[in-house]
Amino acid sequence: MKISLKLYRYNPEIDKKSRYETYQLEADPTDRILDILEFVKGYIDGTLSFRRSCAHGVCGSDAMRINGQNRLACKTLLRDLHGNKVTVEPIMGLRVIKDLIVDMDPFFENFRTVLPYLINDEPAPKTERLQSPEDRERFDDTTKCILCACCTTSCPSFWANDEYLGPAAFVNAHRFIFDSRDRAADERLKILSAQNGVYRCHTVFNCTLACPREIEITKAIGEVKRAISTGSLK
Amino acid sequence: MSARSTLRPRSVQPAWSFEYIMWFFTRVSGLTMYLLALSGVVGAFILGARTQVDLQTLLRWMFFPNRFHVEPYLDDAAFWVTAWWQIMQILIVFFAVSHGFNGLRVVIEDYVGRSFWRPLLRSVVFLLWLAMLVIAVFVILQA
Repeated sequence: MKISLKLYRYNPEIDKKSRYETYQLEADPTDRILDILEFVKGYIDGTLSFRRSCAHGVCGSDAMRINGQNRLACKTLLRDLHGNKVTVEPIMGLRVIKDLIVDMDPFFENFRTVLPYLINDEPAPKTERLQSPEDRERFDDTTKCILCACCTTSCPSFWANDEYLGPAAFVNAHRFIFDSRDRAADERLKILSAQNGVYRCHTVFNCTLACPREIEITKAIGEVKRAISTGSLK
Repeated sequence: MSARSTLRPRSVQPAWSFEYIMWFFTRVSGLTMYLLALSGVVGAFILGARTQVDLQTLLRWMFFPNRFHVEPYLDDAAFWVTAWWQIMQILIVFFAVSHGFNGLRVVIEDYVGRSFWRPLLRSVVFLLWLAMLVIAVFVILQA
């Protein structure tokens, strides 16, 4: 099939402001957007810049805005877009470094704010810290996050103010708050209850729609809000 | 093999903050305004609104039970002008103004980053909220 690929382009060494370039290409419906970008980079314009690594939806490197929706280029087939016009732009709310590459530092700073690691000062047992399947199940959904930033950069609250911690940080906080082996839930809940925490979330649901791992992000944020309100970690 | 969970408290101290309290207040005040409006209209019917006032007047009374809404239609407005209705007016004004101005505060927190504008705009909203409440209560008590 013939497709019209419209790409966001910005080279800070040449361009004063961003522009779009359109390419007419031949592609298969089962091609991924990543394949098409690789084709453009390999055969048409080697200066095109984008992040990619595993190319199998695990590393979360190639999050971009495809036809107006945040997606992973490696998980999006051409046929999923239901048309032959494809527009690819960088994810929003983060500074564009070049073409489809954005500065992820603010995103990872927000992520680190919620202490996304196990905290337990109790003496370590002789073997591992055991956990029942039920306790593991409690936070299973939020372990699936690959930090691609599709959720955070689809959130209007984050577009308005990048100090807002954002859904990815909340998901990763949830993963530890409800982990029965962790002991720092109260510390994290205080961080999430502060000015740039969960109360900047206005339940728009963009994050849930954007998540390529299908994490129920808005539900997780609701559970964090309930924990802040009642202190219950059940 | 069965795994045994490490024991930990199933609850921690609630992490109430100003943001949490205002989030909770927004929901409670929204609900309270409905209840106050409902009690306003029920009270009006008990006082005979069905035969004494028209629908527009009843709706005005429902959201703000002030004597000036009904006096032109009544021969005797004694039961419509009591301390009870003044308290109802003050409650409605308090919840409506606070709900609305908290919404403005949230807009500021959402859209104004860390700059000198944020404390300035917060102060303006706080002063406007306070001034509006004081003026409204003064008008209600003087009426």
